[in-house]
Amino acid sequence: MVIRNLLLILICLSTTTVFGHHVLGRPAYSLSDDSNTPPSMQVETQIGDFYVTYMAFPAFPQPGQQGRLNLYATHRDTGKPFDGQVSFVIKDDKWFGGHQEALGTQPIDDGVYRQGFLVNNAGDYIISASFSSNGEPYKIDFPLRIGQVSGIGPIGIALIIIVVALVLVNVLQRKRLLRGKIQAAHRDAP
Amino acid sequence: MIMTHPGLPFYWQVIIVVFMLLVSVRAMLVPPPSKARHYGWPLEQVPLVGLLVKFLNRSPWPLLFIKIVMVAVFLTVIIAGLNGTPVPERNLATVLTWNLWWAGLVVAIFFLGSAWCAICPWDALATWLVRMRMWGRGRLNNSLNLKVPKWLRSVWPALLMFMALTWFELGVGVTLDPYATALLSLVMVVMATVSLALFEDKAFCHYFCPVGRTVGYYSQLAPVALRPVDPAVCAKCTTLECYHGSENVEPCPTHLVMGTLKENTFCTSCGNCVQSCPDSNVSWHLRPQTVEVKQDARPNWDDAWFMLGLLTLTSFHGITMLPFWYDGMSEFGVWLGDSGRLLLSFSLGMLLIMFAPIAVYALLVYWAQRWTGKSVRYRQAFSVLAFAMLPLAFSYHIAHNLNHLVRESHDLLALFINPLGTDTQPLSMMEKHERHLQMYISQDTLFLLQGGLMLFGFWMAIEVIRYRGYALYSDRKFWVLPIIVFAILIHGFDLWMMAQPMTMRM
Repeated sequence: MVIRNLLLILICLSTTTVFGHHVLGRPAYSLSDDSNTPPSMQVETQIGDFYVTYMAFPAFPQPGQQGRLNLYATHRDTGKPFDGQVSFVIKDDKWFGGHQEALGTQPIDDGVYRQGFLVNNAGDYIISASFSSNGEPYKIDFPLRIGQVSGIGPIGIALIIIVVALVLVNVLQRKRLLRGKIQAAHRDAP
Repeated sequence: MIMTHPGLPFYWQVIIVVFMLLVSVRAMLVPPPSKARHYGWPLEQVPLVGLLVKFLNRSPWPLLFIKIVMVAVFLTVIIAGLNGTPVPERNLATVLTWNLWWAGLVVAIFFLGSAWCAICPWDALATWLVRMRMWGRGRLNNSLNLKVPKWLRSVWPALLMFMALTWFELGVGVTLDPYATALLSLVMVVMATVSLALFEDKAFCHYFCPVGRTVGYYSQLAPVALRPVDPAVCAKCTTLECYHGSENVEPCPTHLVMGTLKENTFCTSCGNCVQSCPDSNVSWHLRPQTVEVKQDARPNWDDAWFMLGLLTLTSFHGITMLPFWYDGMSEFGVWLGDSGRLLLSFSLGMLLIMFAPIAVYALLVYWAQRWTGKSVRYRQAFSVLAFAMLPLAFSYHIAHNLNHLVRESHDLLALFINPLGTDTQPLSMMEKHERHLQMYISQDTLFLLQGGLMLFGFWMAIEVIRYRGYALYSDRKFWVLPIIVFAILIHGFDLWMMAQPMTMRM
């Protein structure tokens, strides 16, 4: 019993204070931090007069899994948080075309703009956050990957291009050789 | 939090600046000898190394074996990139491609010239698919063997590809995206294969490949090259197997004749000439690193642009890794009204940083011309003096890449054991700090290498200016001044960047 109490005191004395940055009542960890919880994806950028930090929870959301975005925007000179409204839009990360859908418009809540999302299809997406300050429009794009993007697609496309090119070339070359032989035969004919 | 590597210490900066000034003054006062001396030693005669060279030259099998290993690694990279973790530092695709291969390739050229091209997996896969043979002369049926259109027969396509590669690498951020890295690798294989199926010989390596051309130009400064053992044997040769190939060996993929070969630019070190020569008269040689760029390489307008592009894009790489780059880009993005991805700002910034120094170079060449009474055509002067930019780009490129190699290429064994990074977590701050402190060589040794390279690069550049410039404007004393000013500006800027903290890639 005495030994147990001594051990307890020793453990308590050796424990150092742990600092955690709390958002929504639970610790939020960026990709670079130590954590025993799933990491979040954090991106920091600067646009116009604002420093913007964006966090996605979880860092690598799966299709059908509820996720959340937190966005902080603070004024570069004064350090005051932006207090207007921020609109969130999600769109396919494609060079041409692609579907776009509004996620919502959020007011500030304790210095943070919180936006939930749920995406059912795996793929690469872009989240656009827009707001305006002093009549100036601001738009920030962040990449978001949902689930595991299929690796078979690109390999399949590459293989198809190569096979089609090789077959076409082979057919053309055979025709070319055959034509050459026929022409040679005509020339040699008496 | 951004982790940075420390820059070159102050004493090294002072040494390099003093050296640059002394060498520049000497170049203006002392004319060079009329001709650079040619001397070289066959590597086969060097102890130990000679045994290895003989082993490699004896048959095609050692090279084929290395190619198979490279292709296996390359396919693993693609699979890891497409199916592995998106965490870049835990995926083999990103670490191997960007931290080890892309950074190490330039260092390898310093010792081995264009040897990489001989074992390139893009070309190996394309050749096996199109020729349908792993070694030897392939069937003609599988390629249309078209001549490359005249307008494509230059290195302009490779320069554009190099710009595109830089844009994807630093603008889109492919270096931190395993999936995109794998896609890029696949695209290169498709392009190499389609090009080989359409055009005669290795048109992709010759005209289009940004990596091959980078290797080619830098290998003008390599201490090793494939050359005739006895030039007299080549002079008497009438069959030119090195050019046409033999019954079992493919012809030279880039149309080179060994007897007249004086520059490494288009040699892919494939070894066909070694295998096909009936007199066994082709082998690897040790040689002085400056003779080709000082005297032997022929000046061309497109070559000059590629070399200048290499110079400016190499510096651009360095700029993007300065800690204040991102803030600067953000400011620029705000001014442009760009979105958070800053792609427009990056693209414009890249073009500006790439072409502004070239415009200054063009003006200084014009100044040199005016000074000398326009005795030489402008294009000729522009093309000839661009050779001096090659050592500047090469030395800075290696010095910069040494940081990536020595400080960032860790845990390779763990990555090969788990290439997809299954069940791994992103690096913690503690792990990042540990990596930062665990270097393959000591920091002082790294600074010594980097400082030495910067000295060597500037010395080589000034030597090129002396030889090339004197050959152009032999009767004028200070013809070299404008180009020396340019070399000092560029190298001074690169030195300044080397002295800054450099952002850790991953």
